[in-house]
Amino acid sequence: MTATAPSPNLEDFPIRARGAYFEKFTTGDVFHHHWGRTITSADNTLFSTALAHWSPMYLNAEYAREHGHQHTVLNPFLVLCTVVGLSVEDLSESGGPFLGIEDCVFERPLYPGDTVRAESEVLDTRPSGSRPGYGIVTWKTTAYDQHGQVVLHFIRKNLLAEERLR
Amino acid sequence: MTDTQSLAPSKPTMTEDSAWFESFEVGQRWRHFRGATIDEVENQLITKLVMNTAQEHWNEASMADSPWGKSRLVFGLITGSLTLGLASQDTAENALAELSLDEIRFKSGVFHGDSIYAYTEVLGIEPSDRPDAGIVEFQHWGAAADMRIVFECRRKVLIKRRSHWRA
Repeated sequence: MTATAPSPNLEDFPIRARGAYFEKFTTGDVFHHHWGRTITSADNTLFSTALAHWSPMYLNAEYAREHGHQHTVLNPFLVLCTVVGLSVEDLSESGGPFLGIEDCVFERPLYPGDTVRAESEVLDTRPSGSRPGYGIVTWKTTAYDQHGQVVLHFIRKNLLAEERLR
Repeated sequence: MTDTQSLAPSKPTMTEDSAWFESFEVGQRWRHFRGATIDEVENQLITKLVMNTAQEHWNEASMADSPWGKSRLVFGLITGSLTLGLASQDTAENALAELSLDEIRFKSGVFHGDSIYAYTEVLGIEPSDRPDAGIVEFQHWGAAADMRIVFECRRKVLIKRRSHWRA
């Protein structure tokens, strides 16, 4: 048995915090979200089947081609979920509940192998009237494909805790 | 050699003869036939698949002191996407494209083990800028098996006209 260093007290380690809180946002701020995501056939098939979207437009390439597409169409709700997912760390992580989305428009179809990236602009911030220590932030999020074309956009609202309550 | 022509994919029977643009009337309502239980695949896997870094959705330990629930909270758009999936055969069997969503609301928390059912009302019917399809607007609700509404949204879909595609 080799000697090992004494075990550290893990409770002494500081947390490398991530995520969002109410005071982080000022109207007009723009966030260019991390990572981007190439969405594959595997993603599309898993998402569409697990969530009961058995549409041949998403799962039958020959059917999709008959409708003028180059391949199966990526399920637009998968694209929406991915765009929201990419924005979570910047906008809402550990802050509080997702309240809603308005005016989500799907501008163009995407195909397996296409890559999305996302950015968001802060449209509004206001303290919560009913929940002290919280505020409501509204963003407009826009997703682009690898050619810089707009794929979809929407308005999203979240309840966010003030920094001291996180 | 068999007749490969007969295996051509362009059979009009690939989708059901239903849910055409002409099939919908404002005010129609349905509870869709199948519900589905949200569990590890639906929430734990798909939430991370779509890059959602919020551990409240996939780290049970992180919920120990949470004000929002005692166990992993399902990502709202998983509940929403499942609701739309459960509604899709009856509303989008002959759709060409999803156009828009609006007034998405998450009405109450959803947890692993909850079973979701989808409910739909037809809100509007309008022509589109192409002669072979029109636009139908739906209101959808997702509800747990105890009828607690957990999700709602409005949705516009571009749907084929039967007169053009299967006359």
